[in-house]
Amino acid sequence: MSSDFEAYEQDFGTLTAEITNKIGRIPKLGGEEKTQLVLNVDKQLEEVRELMEQMDLEVREIPIQSRGMYQSRLKSYKGEMEKLEKDFKRSRIAYSDEVRNELLGEDAGSSESQRAHLLDNTEKLERSSRRLEAGYQIAVETEQVGQEILANLHSDREKIQRSRERLRETDANLGKSSRILTGMLRRIIQNRVLVFVLGATILLTIILAIYFNVRGH
Amino acid sequence: MDNSGKEKEALTLMAEADKKMKSSRGFGTLFGGSSRKYEEACDMYVRAANMFKMAKNWSAAGNAFSQAAHLHLQMDNKLDGAINFLDAGNVFKKADPQEAINCLNQAIEIYTDMGRFTIAAKHHISIAEIYESELLDVDKAICHYEQAADYYKGEESKSAANKCLLKVATYTAQLEQYQKAIDIYEQIGTYAMDSVLLKYGAKDHFFKAALCHFCVDMLNARLSVQRYEDMFPAFSDARECKLVKKLLDAYEEQDVDAFTDAVKDFDSISRLDQWNTTMLLRIKKQIQDDESDLR
Repeated sequence: MSSDFEAYEQDFGTLTAEITNKIGRIPKLGGEEKTQLVLNVDKQLEEVRELMEQMDLEVREIPIQSRGMYQSRLKSYKGEMEKLEKDFKRSRIAYSDEVRNELLGEDAGSSESQRAHLLDNTEKLERSSRRLEAGYQIAVETEQVGQEILANLHSDREKIQRSRERLRETDANLGKSSRILTGMLRRIIQNRVLVFVLGATILLTIILAIYFNVRGH
Repeated sequence: MDNSGKEKEALTLMAEADKKMKSSRGFGTLFGGSSRKYEEACDMYVRAANMFKMAKNWSAAGNAFSQAAHLHLQMDNKLDGAINFLDAGNVFKKADPQEAINCLNQAIEIYTDMGRFTIAAKHHISIAEIYESELLDVDKAICHYEQAADYYKGEESKSAANKCLLKVATYTAQLEQYQKAIDIYEQIGTYAMDSVLLKYGAKDHFFKAALCHFCVDMLNARLSVQRYEDMFPAFSDARECKLVKKLLDAYEEQDVDAFTDAVKDFDSISRLDQWNTTMLLRIKKQIQDDESDLR
């Protein structure tokens, strides 16, 4: 059983070596050759993957005691494979980078300007976050001011309501007092009329008395 | 602005008024013109007092006003007497706070006799303010604020009553009578959350109540915060609530730094006022004391 595994390991080793070689060459080539090479590497990666699967199955058939070593080896192989895949992807992109560089004539100085660019961006972000904070503070203050104003309004409302009540009461009282005064005025007039009437009667009686006296003589 | 001239005039008026007072006892009573004499004397006292005010001779003005007030009371003219006592109190505020309090107290008695509780409450507040600022007697100030709040509640002016109760609560909490403060804050908070205008201030009251609970006992604080959240869902969104929760956690773990960080955080957005800072400082000292005890 383990011999199968070792055979797989050897195959794995040779394939990975080839793939690494080819990946190294990809960026420098172009056109037909490149596409050929890319397809080749693809196929080889597929083979590697199949190998890995078989190695997996092998490891599972091995009794548990000795499994540990094989499993660790398997893990390292898996890591290697992933790295190869990443390199492969990068190499395909790197192609475009090399040609672009040739076209645009940039040199290693581009990394410096990138750094400056990034620092600029970070500073802008910091500035905007500081402004946001300030804005938030102002909003909170506004809320507090609004709260106070509302409380004031509430108490003013009560004061106005109370004054209105008092005003209505005063109005009613004034009405009552004016009625009483009219009543008083009426009574005064009545009294005066009575006084005049009595005065007139007394005068008449006196005149009649004198008249009769004079007549009686 | 002939101030000294005014003063001399005022003094002459006072002297005349005094003479009238003495003379009226002899003749006037016979002819029933005594009331007229008293009224004239009152008038003169008031005029003299106003002139003293112009000359900025506060204590003399205050004396003149109180004499006028006493005369009014003798003539059973309660309302005018009360008004003059008020004037005397206002004038004495600038000169002699104790006298001012006496005059205001007398005015309050008259008003409560007449049943005008709102005005009496307003003057209780004035007295309490004098105690707060000039005489620095916080206990008496609390008494007067409470009295004012009771009167206002009797007259159904909830918001004025709440204003007084808030002051009472701030002072009682400063004096460490936490239970009373808690009750007041909870009461005001519950009232506020129902009212349309006041609900944005409700979270502030709950925050203060939670701080007072905290000073008493941490578990209490946790339970009460839970209760407030149930009663008033908007409270849980408030930054204050989040601060309280952070403080509770820091207190549980006895971590002074976390506590200070949380407070600094909150302060950077909106400043903490005097009362809040005092309370938080007390809680922080509690943590520090506990820590040193454990060590």
